[in-house]
Parts: sequence; structure tokens; C-alpha cells
Amino acid sequence: MSPSAEHAIVRSELRWTVVVIAAVSLIMLAVIFAAVAMHINPPSNVERIDPQTLHLSAEFTESDLGTRVEANGQVTARIVATQFAFVPRCIVLPANRPVTLRFATPDVIHGILVTGTNVNTMVVPGYVSQVHTVFRTTGDLLMPCHEYCGLGHSEMMATVRVVPREAFRPGPDGRVSCADK
Amino acid sequence: MADREDDDGLTDERIEAALRQTPKGAFALAGLTVGLLMLAWAAMYVLVFLPRGSVG
Repeated sequence: MSPSAEHAIVRSELRWTVVVIAAVSLIMLAVIFAAVAMHINPPSNVERIDPQTLHLSAEFTESDLGTRVEANGQVTARIVATQFAFVPRCIVLPANRPVTLRFATPDVIHGILVTGTNVNTMVVPGYVSQVHTVFRTTGDLLMPCHEYCGLGHSEMMATVRVVPREAFRPGPDGRVSCADK
Repeated sequence: MADREDDDGLTDERIEAALRQTPKGAFALAGLTVGLLMLAWAAMYVLVFLPRGSVG
């Protein structure tokens, strides 16, 4: 190969490198924009919990599961993901109001997503998965397990019932359940 | 050198010419595919991901 041909190829490769760097930079800027301006981040809660005593813990006992409005007004839903069901199977949350979803599992790795939203996280034994979000639309949203967890995986799903803000009325104990709605 | 032919009948000049042309075609093909990929990514990002709102 002549020096001029080799030079031309090197120049072409450098041009293409610039194109690739520009494309990656564009994506990185878009990700930073979403994180800073729109608060769209990967859930990154690191909180340990003993999976063997989950049902005896202060937070994930059966009577504490579901949606609760805390004393400070924060809406929190606690859900246990277990082979092969979510407990409870249906949770009620208000639209256009910050809510927190907290998950734990006593058995194997599960994953959840809420269809039509950016809510998506793994549920790993030994850790509490936490997601903050604001639901913009009302209705029944499907929340399936999206991490293969065993033979009944395909049957493992729950419903997130998003109701208008004014229709979200907790009881005296701060609890709201699908049976009320 | 320039008029030497190998067994395929290719001269060094024809090889040089091909080497000069090849990057243009590769650029066109790579540009088209990467461009379409970026467009698809941007469409998903702007039309699906961002409207779904905050999470974290």
C-alpha cells in the first residue's frame, strides 16, 4: 500500500472515531439531562434485611404490607415478592403525588416493573429495593415479575391501582387497600 | 511496480484505487446504520422514556 492510500485510510478512521465519540457524548448528555433535570435515575437504595426473618421484621410483617400514608404525609407501599406471588396482590397509590415503593423477598431473586412507567428494579434476598416515583396516569397497571424465579414465574404478577389524588383517602390507620377502591 | 500483474490480473494501481474507494462505501454503510440506530434510540428516549416521568 502506498503512503498516500494508507494516509487516506487513517484519516477516514479518525473521522469515524469523531462520529462515534459524538454519538456516545450525545447519549451521555441525554442521560445526565434526564438525571439532573427530570430526576430519572436508576434506583440505588442499599439497605440490608434478613430474608429468614422477613415476616418477623418491623417493616415487612403481613399486617404492615400494602399502602400506608406515613405521619409526614409520605405515601409508601410495602410489598413482599415471593415464589410465586406478590403480597399483597394489589396496591393502591395516588396519581401526581410522590410515592415510595419498597420491596423485599424471603426466597430468590425477583424483579418488578410497572407497565407504562419507568418503575423497574430487582428484588434481591437480603436487601430492600426502593423506588421513588410519581404516577401520571390513573388506572390498573400490571406489575409482573420480570426475573425468572421458578416454575410459577409466569403467574407472578400484581396490580398497581393508581387513583386520582382526591380519590386517595386513607383510613384512620393511614392504610389504603384495593378492597376500599 | 505499477504495471506488475499478479495471478488474478490485478495491478498495483487497481488495488490502490480500490483501497481509496473502499472507505467511502464503508462510511456510507456505517453512517446509515449508526444513524438509524441513533434515531431509533432518540425516538424511544424522547417519546417513551422521558414522558414516563421521574424514578429513582
